[in-house]
Amino acid sequence: MEAGTASARARLAWRLWALVPVLLLAIAVAAVSTSGSWFADLIGRNPPPADEFDIRRVEFKPAEIRILVRNPQPDDLTIANVNVDDAIVPFTVDGPTTLGRLRSSTIVVRYDWVEDEPISVGVTSSTGIQTVEEIPAAVATPEPSLDSFFGYALIGLLVGVLPVALGLLWLPALRHASAVWLAAFMAFTAGLLAFLGVEALSEAFELQALLPAALGGAGLVLLGVALSFLGMTALAGRLSRGSGTQGSGATGIALALLVAIGIGVHNLGEGLAIGASFAVGELQLGAFLIVGFMIHNVTEGLGIAAPLAKARTTILTLAGLALVAGAPTVLGAWIGGYSSSDVLAALFFAVAAGAAFQVVVEVGRYVARQAPGGLRSGYAIGGFLAGVVAMYVTGILAG
Amino acid sequence: MIGQEAPAVGGPNDLDALLYPPPARPYRQGRVREYVLTATDTDLEVAPGVFFPAWTYNGTAPGPVVRATEGDQLRVRFRNDGSHPHTIHFHGIHPSNMDGVFEIVETGAELTYEFEARPAGLHLYHCHATPLKKHIHKGLYGAFIIDPKEPRPPAQELVMVMNGFDTDGDGENNFYTVNGRSFYYARYPIRVRRSQLVRIYLANLTEFDLINSLHLHGDFFRYQPTGTGDHWEYTDTVMQCQGQRGVIEIQFANTGRFMFHAHQSEFAELGWMGFFDVV
Repeated sequence: MEAGTASARARLAWRLWALVPVLLLAIAVAAVSTSGSWFADLIGRNPPPADEFDIRRVEFKPAEIRILVRNPQPDDLTIANVNVDDAIVPFTVDGPTTLGRLRSSTIVVRYDWVEDEPISVGVTSSTGIQTVEEIPAAVATPEPSLDSFFGYALIGLLVGVLPVALGLLWLPALRHASAVWLAAFMAFTAGLLAFLGVEALSEAFELQALLPAALGGAGLVLLGVALSFLGMTALAGRLSRGSGTQGSGATGIALALLVAIGIGVHNLGEGLAIGASFAVGELQLGAFLIVGFMIHNVTEGLGIAAPLAKARTTILTLAGLALVAGAPTVLGAWIGGYSSSDVLAALFFAVAAGAAFQVVVEVGRYVARQAPGGLRSGYAIGGFLAGVVAMYVTGILAG
Repeated sequence: MIGQEAPAVGGPNDLDALLYPPPARPYRQGRVREYVLTATDTDLEVAPGVFFPAWTYNGTAPGPVVRATEGDQLRVRFRNDGSHPHTIHFHGIHPSNMDGVFEIVETGAELTYEFEARPAGLHLYHCHATPLKKHIHKGLYGAFIIDPKEPRPPAQELVMVMNGFDTDGDGENNFYTVNGRSFYYARYPIRVRRSQLVRIYLANLTEFDLINSLHLHGDFFRYQPTGTGDHWEYTDTVMQCQGQRGVIEIQFANTGRFMFHAHQSEFAELGWMGFFDVV
């Protein structure tokens, strides 16, 4: 009894001891942060801050330009002067004029800009450093309206839901395919998802590189990838338990649902990119581009159909899968068209990459289990490569 | 942009010392004219809230107007309180050792330039230490008037030194001004009288750009290049390369508000624009 109390007390003491490093660190941090430039002065002199703004978005309204700027550096940054096309213009600031670290404000300029012509905006700090953003063509920023809301939805349906639904129509034909060909189509699905994953990953790295150093970084991408990969892994475990094939991975509708989710997350990113580019006048949403995306995405429907070849399905299930994979495009187009969170966009593409890679793993396990000859068969290898090539070739149309 | 809406720094009389030159003095043999010029590192607010780390003579860019009558003995005591070596190089006729090229004045040192003021005209002074481009665009320059022995007709006299400021160090000017502050005379128009002769001493010290110019609205003026000789041009627009200067004379025909600006639209929209209030 006595000994038990003593050891419990000792355990508590050692737990409290764990706080000691934290307290000491707090003291050290306080000492360093109050020392100013003392350490730098021992070695040399700190260079002056860059004093450049991060111009996040330039919006064109009737007779008005709105410039969203952020301070990407630790030191405060003051908006002192604004130029449009290399001419000083009067301006007002919606928000603080002196921006603390990572703070944003919107500069409003009354300006009679010329439709479709190149234009540049420059923001000068109090230290005289000018940050210039060149806009290739001034295009009126779409106002949130019922029309544009409907327009984005329609584009999302056309490039997201419709092609996936069309791809699912291959299902009856797939039901009559032999085991080896079915394995090849499953590998094809893995190939196209791998392609989407790499594409999303590259986009995520590109977007994070545009962020201020403090907000960006490969870690942000890793966070997104890990989040979705592990989330999808947990989901796959749950779905395969539900279908009664414990421990052997997802099959049938469960696997099709995973594929649909993987594609859906990717399509949300695709919609986001389309909406954002269109809103800032960087993208011509012509018939050619929409057709390109449709052809590109029809293969995604095939990917969802392949795992269903041996499963019993209803029209309702198929419609549900098409919506899971395609409808996020609509949501993405709305988010991209009406908001501007570059951090979320980078994180988003990372999430899409992680989801795609997880489904590749899941499909790979399925092929290894079900296909005659497993992953090493020529059908599996050929199917995977065909999936990558199909995405690449149809991607040329969407590019 | 005019009046309150023009983005200019400071109050209505801040630049009077640069705009209105000291009065001309009638010729008197053997007179000595003394000036003291001190080089300093000074942060200048060239546009509202925009600070330029300038090198100046007596705290402004352009520096003070130096004025003498032809034949005066000019004695300019120069003290360098700046962080870099500087000189004063005067345009005009003087001995080699008074030229401000070879005798570099180090930080904390002094040198007195002494020579006879000639020839009559509008001249310049500027630092000639190397790198030359840096020492000039940082702000070390000013107008140097030598009045003829035979005095010019009485007039309301103004000095306008055209310059630019490259605040972000990319070799291009971000702001253009007359006498050092962009849009200053758009915010505070220069008041002149219609019945009175107005004389403007105009010089160009703009770095980086090949030329600068002045265009006057609603009237014509007489322009005497370098303020020397008998040749006068009748025009409303003059062009000067860096270091060129001349004398403008005008009697305004109408009262009202008349714009003047560089006829390079870019310079005008980056600060080199102002107004005369003719009363």
